[in-house]
Amino acid sequence: MERNAIIVAILRIFTERFEIENPGLDDNLRDAYEFDSIDAVELLHEIEVLLGTRLTRAEKKNAMDIRTIRQIADYIEALAAARAAEGAGGAAERLTSQES
Amino acid sequence: MERNSPAAGRRRLQTFFDMAITLALWAYFTAGFVLLFAPFYLLAGIFARNREQAFQQLNSRFYRGFFALARRLMPGHRWQIQPEVRAIRSSVVVCNHQSYLDSILLISLYGRHNTIVKSRLFDIPLFGNMLQWSGYIPSSAEGRFAEMMIRRIESMDAFLAAGGNLIVFPEGTRSRDGRIGPLNPGAFKIARRCRTPIKVLYVTHTDRMFRRGRFAFDTRGPNTIRLELLGEVDAAGADGKRGLVRAMDRVREMLESRQMAG
Repeated sequence: MERNAIIVAILRIFTERFEIENPGLDDNLRDAYEFDSIDAVELLHEIEVLLGTRLTRAEKKNAMDIRTIRQIADYIEALAAARAAEGAGGAAERLTSQES
Repeated sequence: MERNSPAAGRRRLQTFFDMAITLALWAYFTAGFVLLFAPFYLLAGIFARNREQAFQQLNSRFYRGFFALARRLMPGHRWQIQPEVRAIRSSVVVCNHQSYLDSILLISLYGRHNTIVKSRLFDIPLFGNMLQWSGYIPSSAEGRFAEMMIRRIESMDAFLAAGGNLIVFPEGTRSRDGRIGPLNPGAFKIARRCRTPIKVLYVTHTDRMFRRGRFAFDTRGPNTIRLELLGEVDAAGADGKRGLVRAMDRVREMLESRQMAG
């Protein structure tokens, strides 16, 4: 997933789900928009929908310290990359087991 | 002269009664817990399939016992709890906050309940463990509370659907002057997320029985403690920030109107 597409998707979620219009990339969401841990749990659900995959407990826990849109973008980018690597690794593993 | 007057004598006698009854109630909290309830908590901790639910039931019974004792020892305080309040299920229950007694009073009414607790209380040895084992929600998601918060919020749908009530004092702290303080949005966000109605309760005069800043109960009467259902606010329609603010304003309006009515 491209970084720009990630940011567009995050901003759409914030507009539609939380009625937060055009937040700055480095705004502290908690201070500026009262975005709290309950909102964060909702956001994690939206991220799961966006990526089409379930997040692990550890991945969710890591997200609870995030404060800005830029950090959310970093977080999603890292998740997407990890999922892509897992997918490639899984495919390679399946190929190896078929060959043997 | 003043020290030996009948009025001073009555005050001393009253102080003695207040202290004796307070000690009896504290004895229930400590020795009563150990002797009457601890074995059941232990059994629930080991054998219950749903430990959180079992602990919530036991907490409710423990506090019911406390209020039964309080009624006997302090007959000057009368209790009026509307049957509609007792009948609430599958709801986010919000209430004004006057005294430490408010939270345990609501817990005593609902076997299946959850509540939001100040995170620092989870750090108290044993008591903090009890809060955690009861499945209560920490007020912040900082540090070690992050995972706990995620688990609690994610399981809230099923908890409420199964008949549980989430008890929240949206002012976050006891009122100093009886007026309704600013409301925190947490309860409203959970209700919206779980598409659950918000039941608005109003409690009066618990602060006359257990006064702010005092160790001893005020055992005198006459006093009537009332707990009533003011109404319901639909959180399902509170989509977005504006909807949430509308729901919060509606609840504040209900609490303030009731307060003005006296």
